[in-house]
Amino acid sequence: MLLLIGCDNSSLVIDKLCDEAGEGDTAVMCFYFDFASRNDQSPVNMLGSLLRQFVSGLGGIPEAVVQDFQKQRKGIGGRGLQVSGILKMFQAIAATKRTFICVDALDECVPEHRKVILESLRQILQWSPNTRLFMTGRPQVRSEVEKTLDGAVAFRPIQTEDGVVRYLCDKLKNDTTPEAMSSALKAEIMKTILEMNSETYVEASAKDKLPWVGG
Amino acid sequence: MSQLFSHNNKSINIANSFNFSASDDEAKILAWLSPLEPWVRHRDIGAERVDGIGAWLLETREFRRWHDASREDESNPATLFCDGNPGVGKSYIM
Repeated sequence: MLLLIGCDNSSLVIDKLCDEAGEGDTAVMCFYFDFASRNDQSPVNMLGSLLRQFVSGLGGIPEAVVQDFQKQRKGIGGRGLQVSGILKMFQAIAATKRTFICVDALDECVPEHRKVILESLRQILQWSPNTRLFMTGRPQVRSEVEKTLDGAVAFRPIQTEDGVVRYLCDKLKNDTTPEAMSSALKAEIMKTILEMNSETYVEASAKDKLPWVGG
Repeated sequence: MSQLFSHNNKSINIANSFNFSASDDEAKILAWLSPLEPWVRHRDIGAERVDGIGAWLLETREFRRWHDASREDESNPATLFCDGNPGVGKSYIM
């Protein structure tokens, strides 16, 4: 089995998908956009990264990819890799597999690049009906997502009391100067912060439905 | 076996995996596909995340429909978009 990543405590959705993937015929890929790396995160590099992750999990490079690689070796200069070529390779190898693509911080992608990437993801979804896409981003890119990816469901994260308690406990446990804080002060911090946010909590009974934001 | 990330062995095993499976040619082809390494960011986020936060999402009907959808079931969404302002924890949910 090829393992690119495995860790005790990574991310929520990717963790769940990987846990379930187990030994099965499922691929999980991720990408994180970042303002600081925007010059490197071109459509070719981003889509190529997804394909690289997919190919890495196969236990061998598919013939379609090897052939394209050999072809570009004969060319002059550059990697000779284009978005259209990456999509063709995806089309050739990904259609039959259950595939999850997770993309973080779509708003941190250059707008011109984002347009190409969303359109490319749309094509991948069209060719490969077993592919599912999970993305995050600021509200200003939502309409672009919904316009390009038909039927996309958008939701906003909610705050639960349980989540706030877990977070506070973790921070207090890992405080670098624990001797400066008495038990009474810890209790006061918990109580005050929980009360401050109490109006924003979502009741457990309401948590079985996603907080929609249009769609 | 084809999953790319596995939670099963509970350890970070990136470099060894490549060494284990990729011949020199394979390594060249993978590098040709992309020089980017998103798993580095994935690992960093995992190190900061508090376990259990955001678990509500996995229980929602919409997430389950997205996750369970099959080829035949076109009514289920292929795309979920987590929409939120900076600092609300989107990256940790993913």
